[in-house]
Amino acid sequence: MSTIAPVSLKRRSFIYRLLAAEGAQFGEINGGAVPLHFGAGREVELAAARRLALADLSVLPHVGFKGKGTVEWLTAQGLTIGPDSNKAYRQAGGELAARLAPTEIFLIDSLAGTGALIGRLGSAWKWAESAPRPAQGYPTPRQDSHAWFMVAGEFAPEMFAKICGVDLRRDRFAEGAIAQTSMAKMSAIVIRADRQGRDGRVNAAYHVLADIASAEYLWSCLMDAAAEFDGRPVGLLALQDLEQ
Amino acid sequence: MKIMNCPLNGPRNISEFVWGGEVKPMPDPASVDDRTWAAWLFLENNEAGVVREWWCHVPTSFWFIAERNTVTDEILRTYAAGDVFNTRVEFAPKAAENK
Repeated sequence: MSTIAPVSLKRRSFIYRLLAAEGAQFGEINGGAVPLHFGAGREVELAAARRLALADLSVLPHVGFKGKGTVEWLTAQGLTIGPDSNKAYRQAGGELAARLAPTEIFLIDSLAGTGALIGRLGSAWKWAESAPRPAQGYPTPRQDSHAWFMVAGEFAPEMFAKICGVDLRRDRFAEGAIAQTSMAKMSAIVIRADRQGRDGRVNAAYHVLADIASAEYLWSCLMDAAAEFDGRPVGLLALQDLEQ
Repeated sequence: MKIMNCPLNGPRNISEFVWGGEVKPMPDPASVDDRTWAAWLFLENNEAGVVREWWCHVPTSFWFIAERNTVTDEILRTYAAGDVFNTRVEFAPKAAENK
């Protein structure tokens, strides 16, 4: 993946200008311009990913499914979804199926961003041609409705404590837990999804999903909150490298 | 900050919630007159004491019912609306009126 200009692709993050100003270098993943690294050197970004790092994953595939029969339909498609709401269930390909409510799933891709599962579900879902239609739920477009950030590193819970009322410390907010709450005065979905490093260490990581129209605002708030802990933006490669 | 317990999401800051009016029994929409219907929609009893109210957890758009003492502003309990409204209501079209 060579470095590209984000404007050369139609799909790019809403905050690509902010990221470019911070030194982001972009590459193409699945047709979108993804910030791969920030030019500070691999070791610097890896260290940040362990301490406190922000990454913009908004371009990676994510989608929703909702309505009566949703979970049954997704299960028939091979997904593994447990009974509890506000819990994220990891899939075979590393995707996360976040159960926001009994009949609502927010599906985010693995950091490889191939979109394989999401693409397959997109082609498999069809509205029955005639009534009575089976209760199978329906897809909800999330790709362009939600910005998707990752906050990684051991200082992430302390940073969140400044902008979010829910206790996200690791002994209180279990792996896979979801909080749908207010973050920096915005509604946001927070999912704890720790990363198993190749050195055997578990690295704290949280997904943050929020209204994409306010992505610049939320990114600025996160960067501001992270500054106290020397947090910095990292590219996707640093997050992937941690666990390869 | 005051804490409210959302039946879906658990205890949260009160700033995450909005009030949605009192829970009142719905008059039969097929037979009710306009004045009563408007009163049901728009007028609140505003009682002093324990009332049942609609509340919404904004980050999830989850509507539920809370019992609250309006004198002391204590929230006594909260529960999903499905605990109360557990049967489907069919809205038959109202017979056309000749004007």
